[in-house]
Amino acid sequence: MDWLFFGEISLAGLAMGGLYALIALGFVIIYKATRVINFAIGEIMMFAAYLFLAFAGGMEMSAWIALPLAVIGGSILGGVIEKTMIRPMLGESPISVVMVTIGVASILVGLVEFIWTANPQLLPSFLPREPVFIGPLYLAPKIAYGFLIGSALLIVYLLYFRFSRGGIALRATASDQAAAYSMGINVRRVFNMAWVFGSLAASLAGVLVAATGGLSPQFGIIGLSVLVVVIVGGLDSILGALVAGVFIGWLETVAGAYLGGEYRMPATFLVLAVILVIRPYGLFGTREIERV
Amino acid sequence: MFRNILEKGRRLAGLGSLVAALTLAGPAMAQDKEPIVFGGSIPLSGVFAFAGIHIHAGLTDYTSWINSQGGINGHPVKYVMEDTAYEVDRSVAAFKKISGSDSPATYYGDSTGFMKTIASELNSQGTTLMSGASFATALTDNEQYPYQFIPGPNYSQMFGIILEYIASQGEGGDMPTVAFVYSDTEFGKDPIENGKARAAELGIEVVEAIVTKPGSVDVSAEILKLRRVRPDYVVFHGYVLSPINEFMVQMRQMGLDTRFMGTFWSSDKLIIDKMGADADGYMGVMPYNYYDSEESGPMLDALRAQAEKSDPEAGYRPTGYMQGWFNAMVWTEVIKRTLDAGKELTADNMAASLASIKDWDTGGIIGIPVTVRDMSFPVGRIWRVNAEEGRYEPVSEWIHLD
Repeated sequence: MDWLFFGEISLAGLAMGGLYALIALGFVIIYKATRVINFAIGEIMMFAAYLFLAFAGGMEMSAWIALPLAVIGGSILGGVIEKTMIRPMLGESPISVVMVTIGVASILVGLVEFIWTANPQLLPSFLPREPVFIGPLYLAPKIAYGFLIGSALLIVYLLYFRFSRGGIALRATASDQAAAYSMGINVRRVFNMAWVFGSLAASLAGVLVAATGGLSPQFGIIGLSVLVVVIVGGLDSILGALVAGVFIGWLETVAGAYLGGEYRMPATFLVLAVILVIRPYGLFGTREIERV
Repeated sequence: MFRNILEKGRRLAGLGSLVAALTLAGPAMAQDKEPIVFGGSIPLSGVFAFAGIHIHAGLTDYTSWINSQGGINGHPVKYVMEDTAYEVDRSVAAFKKISGSDSPATYYGDSTGFMKTIASELNSQGTTLMSGASFATALTDNEQYPYQFIPGPNYSQMFGIILEYIASQGEGGDMPTVAFVYSDTEFGKDPIENGKARAAELGIEVVEAIVTKPGSVDVSAEILKLRRVRPDYVVFHGYVLSPINEFMVQMRQMGLDTRFMGTFWSSDKLIIDKMGADADGYMGVMPYNYYDSEESGPMLDALRAQAEKSDPEAGYRPTGYMQGWFNAMVWTEVIKRTLDAGKELTADNMAASLASIKDWDTGGIIGIPVTVRDMSFPVGRIWRVNAEEGRYEPVSEWIHLD
């Protein structure tokens, strides 16, 4: 066995898994606080990536200004979706709310096609292009720097949720909405905040992933791939999202390298099937999750 | 962004004016003879819209042009289409609707899936000849698809042309090595086995065949595999843009001097526009002259004049436009041959007329006279990106497969 090759493949997979973890984090934050399965997460990623394209490409801004603007734009979009489309659905059946998110996804695709056309796009190159070597192991620069940027946001999020008032309010609401409300926490505001933070993580991941794999109105389909990650990790577990994201990224890449690209998805869905049989609530999820 | 919206609005307004003008002018333009209908399931929206809008423009412009030339043997031509969003069920519905209302002599199919699905109905109707966006090898099976043809080489033939070019680059009996990279789709897998067989015949070693997940976000693992086998050429198939850019950029970052090639749908100017300088040296097989090439000919000049007339601000017309125009050109030639022979416009008669095409001068759309073989036009040329000039330039003679 060529261990150097295995090491390089594994490194690429783990780095890609870091980006999966970031997307999954966006998914889980929203679910954990609001119990809404957001099927529009991929389209929010896509929209943020198109915003980056508009700022850095169309308006020729510096990529380092365009990146935060695009990410903020994506998070504002999440907040607006929550306030205008999800909040009026409070109390309705989970299926209805899920259908709204699917509708939102469709609207975003149409909007993007209208504004930026259906042409495939490449984002302006903004990450360093020099090859990255960790010891003797080669790592593609876009993946390496994307992983670093994504990891930085992950650390900020974990610290925020652990120590800040907003983070504590969010965790309290996730644990028990009625108790949080009785303690004076503005639950509606927390719901909105969850959508904003979740969309912000997804937006950053969207730009980083699009910088690697290109962009088109069909880009949002990656959100469904990440659904595997969050189900494996547990829909309401941030730790699960991180662990499963990294693991699924690694597994996909190793399966693709050794078995062929056509085995990437079967390998991850095999893991999903096994997890659903032995732990239907995910590796780190809680048992009382309501399925839709 | 706003400029884009304005431009789109202006185009839509232009299209609306054209539709209105045609509607109003219809009675005045009517000729004594019955119109001949070109039908089409056209993907103006959905995943293939980037090409569909240009295919539609090519078909529309050709129809205007041929009518300005007096139609086909005095018959005016009417182009009737529906948007399908590149969905097979919608394409089938559009075909049934247009067949029922307009009895098209010829029809543009938007995908291999649709053309396979509709084959039995097309065969039983026996009234319509079909071609379209697909270059699928399977559609050149005359037993199963007797009324469908490919408006160029099929994908296996494209690989054949590419491999002949690669073989011609071997020096001193040292044949270059090649790797195939293709998407995990019916489209992507189409020419791979035939390509491997043809490579073996030519003495070219296929050192790796890599399949990538559609919409794959990261291909660095696949690139690491290629770094180990160091192919002289990588041939892509089943993509429009990404991940071709990632393979090229990363392999060059690794210091490899591999050359990169692709088939029809991955050889448009989009690659240059989006990749910029990174696209330099990329090569594609193309059965038609590019819109902005230095080639000329009466039909190519007419195409450029018509394109300029219909939308003066459009500038370069992509390969989808050329493909739409060429489809309609072939339909016209086939219908003309059938009518000239005093035969009815049935699918059988038109298929026979198509098969009779030999050493046909396409007026510069294709650079050499072409002969139909197995319901396809097995001809093409290798073009290379000159990123500084922002266009493809020919690097081979026209290659016509036997």
